[in-house]
Amino acid sequence: MTTAAPAVRTEGLTVRYGAFRALRDVTVNLPPGEIIGLIGPNGAGKTTLLNAISGFTPIAEGSVHVGDRDLTALGARRRALAGVVRGFQTVRLLERESVLTNVLIGTERLPQPSALAQFFGLPSQRRAHRRDTAAAAEVLDLLGLAGQSHRRVDELPFASRRLVEVARVLVSSPSVILLDEPAAGLDQEGRQELASVLTRIHRNHPSTMVVVEHDVDLVKTLCSYVIALDSGAFLRDGTPAEVFGDRQVQLAYFGRAAGADA
Amino acid sequence: MTSTTTRSRTGTGAGAGAATRGPGLGRKLTRLTVFAVIAAVPPLLFDSYWVFLAAQVVAFAIATLGLDILYGRTGQLSLAHASFMGVGAYTTYTVSSYGYGPAVQLAAVVVVAVVAALVVAVPTLRLSGLRLALVTLAFGELLAWVIRNTTDLTGGTQGASVDPIVIGLLDSSEPVDAYLIALVPAVIATVLAAHLGRTQLGRRMLAVRDTELAAESVGVAVARTKITAFLLSAVYAGVAGWLYAAITGFIAPPDFDLFASVYLFVAVVIGGAGSVLGAWLGAAYIVLVPELFTLAGQPNLYPIVGGALLAIVALVVPDGIVGLGRGIGRRVRRARDGQEETA
Ligand SMILES: Nc1ncnc2c1ncn2[C@@H]1O[C@H](COP(=O)(O)OP(=O)(O)OP(=O)(O)O)[C@@H](O)[C@H]1O
Ligand SMILES: [Mg+2]
Repeated sequence: MTTAAPAVRTEGLTVRYGAFRALRDVTVNLPPGEIIGLIGPNGAGKTTLLNAISGFTPIAEGSVHVGDRDLTALGARRRALAGVVRGFQTVRLLERESVLTNVLIGTERLPQPSALAQFFGLPSQRRAHRRDTAAAAEVLDLLGLAGQSHRRVDELPFASRRLVEVARVLVSSPSVILLDEPAAGLDQEGRQELASVLTRIHRNHPSTMVVVEHDVDLVKTLCSYVIALDSGAFLRDGTPAEVFGDRQVQLAYFGRAAGADA
Repeated sequence: MTSTTTRSRTGTGAGAGAATRGPGLGRKLTRLTVFAVIAAVPPLLFDSYWVFLAAQVVAFAIATLGLDILYGRTGQLSLAHASFMGVGAYTTYTVSSYGYGPAVQLAAVVVVAVVAALVVAVPTLRLSGLRLALVTLAFGELLAWVIRNTTDLTGGTQGASVDPIVIGLLDSSEPVDAYLIALVPAVIATVLAAHLGRTQLGRRMLAVRDTELAAESVGVAVARTKITAFLLSAVYAGVAGWLYAAITGFIAPPDFDLFASVYLFVAVVIGGAGSVLGAWLGAAYIVLVPELFTLAGQPNLYPIVGGALLAIVALVVPDGIVGLGRGIGRRVRRARDGQEETA
């Protein structure tokens, strides 16, 4: 169901909020099939770049290509159906529903029977339900949430809620995965675990995966490629060693927050 | 919402999870038995007036189940739900006046309800919240105006007598028969509404209600989901109107006016939005409670007490009667788990 992981390319991307330019003429190439770290100080435009790629913010100038498709004119929903699925920095969950329901909503991209077939519980609906619950169980198990699947998400601690959102993104095995600080709120052990789970999922289901992350060590273990932004502009890209070794990156990034970043 | 457990307990499948798991055979049988016992009470124990009211509860339950799909699950506020009952009732009246029986009536009701719902839903695609409520309100007014001005066809403000439904030996002018006739579509409507919670269609609705952004981020068609919910709710209301016309034998515009819509809304909120059981409790509330006040010789108190109760429910138990029950259940379970852990 997933095609091979595509390259993602933005060309001269500019996003404006009023007179303010949150992204300025950003051209980046996300290499296909890699786990890419997106770094930059607070307000650098990381979230805005994910929004622009996933269709959640209007683009003033420039274009977004996934593989050889130009997605610039498509809305968020069509981009999701084209395989671009993102998580939010501030988790957006169905608060009063169970963990399982929250993850199952992510199966929307898989072929679903017609509304009437679902309403009347025709065999096609039962098949889809079995397929979807199996996919959800698998990803919940990987993320260590299997025991929580029937709990309401508003009863969960913050770190688990974030993982539920990650699970919702991953459950349909999208070919382009955009995660906005998925490790925020996790302790050191949790971060390492998340990194190994993401690596494992990435190995099982090839994808172009972008992870916004502040923790340098985590980026180094998880990512094979890094893109740095600063003040809405593209700063540097390359291997983790190249990017973190870069003077400008060090100035922009470590200059202000040398210690552990929450 | 109020409980933030810092220590994670391994889930024991509490409350909310039931939405995605199908009930096991044992639980299905238990539910069926409980339902059959409760359903058998009115015709066996009550006199015919209360059976007549029970039949109305059953018809109204279909309406509240429908509104629950639209409001409780999809979060869309409609003040035209009783109008769609009216669409069903007046379609029934018109079709039956040509001598057609229940099967044709029902088919016509479904078709007309779908068409009317499309007329309202498609132009209001992008609306939600209060603006949607206002548009639905306008639809209700339009319908009332049409009825007032088509006295030949609909009986106008004077109302109209509707022929009873006759199915085999059952005749809906007999309360017990009306009750039994209404029970069949109500059971089907209930089973389908409960099943909806275990489908992707039902989950789309919840996602549209809670977070449209997350819904879109996984590919949910928000507008289409709203329309689907609106259509389903209109068909439910139409079928309820069909039964209402057959049970009462007489329909008039006030049965389906703004107040009637508000009462349906009250029913869903008091019973517990997003819950099939809540829809039934709400239907029982709006049919039986006014009757109890009348019985006590204080019919004027109902709107006051009803309004106060709605305010209390909205403020204190936002999940309605069903939510109250669940909350107590959770607390009991937690207390029990706590004891086990210390033991
Ligand atoms: N909807 C908006 N309206 C106005 N300004 C915005 C909006 N969204 C973002 N911005 C601004 O754009 C800039 C980039 O924001 P963005 O959220 O992309 O940064 P970020 O790199 O994700 O930062 P953080 O690490 O804090 O998440 C910030 O200065 C922010 O205030
Ligand atoms: Mg951000």
